[in-house]
Amino acid sequence: MPNIAVCYKWVADEADIIVNADLSVNMDRATGKISDYDKNAIEAGVQLKKALLGTLYGVTFSADSGRPSLKDALSRGLDAAVWVHGTLAADADEYVTCRAIAAGLAKLEDVGVIVCGDGSSDNYARQLPSRLGAALDIPVITAVSHFAIEDGKLLVTRKLEDDEEVYLVDLPVVISVLPEACAAPVPGLKSVMAAGKKPVIEVDADAIADRLEAKSKAVSIKGYEMKRKNIRLTGESEEDIVEQLFLALDKEGVF
Amino acid sequence: MAIYIYSDKKENAAELVSFAKERNKKSVILTLPDQLSEMSALGADLAVSLTGVETIENGLRSLASYLSTQDMELFLVGNTMRGRDVAARIAGYLEVAMSSDVNSITEEDGAFVTERMTYGGRVVAVSRLPLGSAVTIGKGRYPLSQGQSPSEEVPLKSDERLLRRAKTPIVKEAVDLSASKRILSVGMGLAKEEDLGMVREVAAAIGAEVGCSRGVAEEKKWLPLTRFVGISGNVISPDLYLAAGISGQVQHLYGVKDAKIIVGVNNNEKAPIFRSADYGIVGDLYRILPLIREKALARKQ
Repeated sequence: MPNIAVCYKWVADEADIIVNADLSVNMDRATGKISDYDKNAIEAGVQLKKALLGTLYGVTFSADSGRPSLKDALSRGLDAAVWVHGTLAADADEYVTCRAIAAGLAKLEDVGVIVCGDGSSDNYARQLPSRLGAALDIPVITAVSHFAIEDGKLLVTRKLEDDEEVYLVDLPVVISVLPEACAAPVPGLKSVMAAGKKPVIEVDADAIADRLEAKSKAVSIKGYEMKRKNIRLTGESEEDIVEQLFLALDKEGVF
Repeated sequence: MAIYIYSDKKENAAELVSFAKERNKKSVILTLPDQLSEMSALGADLAVSLTGVETIENGLRSLASYLSTQDMELFLVGNTMRGRDVAARIAGYLEVAMSSDVNSITEEDGAFVTERMTYGGRVVAVSRLPLGSAVTIGKGRYPLSQGQSPSEEVPLKSDERLLRRAKTPIVKEAVDLSASKRILSVGMGLAKEEDLGMVREVAAAIGAEVGCSRGVAEEKKWLPLTRFVGISGNVISPDLYLAAGISGQVQHLYGVKDAKIIVGVNNNEKAPIFRSADYGIVGDLYRILPLIREKALARKQ
């Protein structure tokens, strides 16, 4: 009974990010959340467990402040979680993240399928599944829209820009699932209550082999300013407002 | 040293060759044999035909071994679904840095500096990558290069753990949002699926295609995924983008950041769409949209 591991990320909620007038970025008030598409990945893990009958693990890498992610993720159907955490997360690039997640996966036995989301809500770099496949030297299929187990192998449909491809892949394998592959249900109260009692394996990120260093260096971040006119159309009636809209669109030369 | 280029799309590859030429760099284009003829017509200094594998995915470990023996300045890849996987897998095997889907890439003191959007388009992140790194980049940034390239074969060892059973072209809706000058998009402010009839009538009256937010396509499934606008859907630049009943989350707005004019209609005066719109109307889309239709039809008479 191969086990399943779902990689998920605890990210700052982009809706809480404040971009100041000088384009500096303030994340102090940003609350954490499970990256949106990782919820679909967890549900894909839940579905795979029905076919593979193994244990469903979540594997995540974060700063120590990411502890709240565990209960949230576990309430979504995971049996247990591996939490790799420490100061290493602060300057981690995709290389370091991959190594940290691989260290978490190394705590598990007989993992048949490693599931990732399509991309994280913060960086959306979409590198982890491919890098993990390389680090573990196992096959990778990204952009998966359908999956099933067939004769102990994984049968997947991969949705590219112009083509759909069907692959039959030996386990173990890494897949990244498109959101359309699995809708993510909202966990019920019973699941939320049970989540707190599920086991968590903690891994000290700062003790992973030799101290890891990011391959790419962050130089700067600044807010993106969409320069728009921000004109609020008002009037005595809705007809009047729509009339103003058409006058404006005429002036802009777009109608 | 050379810039090694991969893209499964010819136009994208042609731009990446231009990137190298503009900087007087040697370019080597990597391709499977079935695309050799088109990829060797893009003006690269060398076209390498990767033989012995059914798909590029079957040969990535072997390709990484080959690249590790080359004097590679940069692995530059088109940012298609396949391209991203190829770039990240090679970066993984070679344990090098990678920057995904960059807006720009420049050279600075013996390194590459990339700029890309993060947090759904809210934040611009600048990173510094050493020589030998991987970068993916989209179309529309460089001219299309052409010219005949010499070619050579590099045999790859096939990874037989994955087997491609089928490849089928996706039958797409006739609509191509990226080609439309006007888009009327609806979001979760739309109360029910049947109301799309009204939306289509308004769109027809103003000569627009119908788009939508991710929620309408992915959660409600009222419109096909090909019509949703946002960072993981259509990224478009119409003359007019009319967002009705769309709150204006950053991921959605990323998809229209290059639109000429954005109009927001929302009954919540605090909706973020108004911060990112040129013109905002606080009102009920069920009242405003029919008035827009009426007005547009009246103008046609």
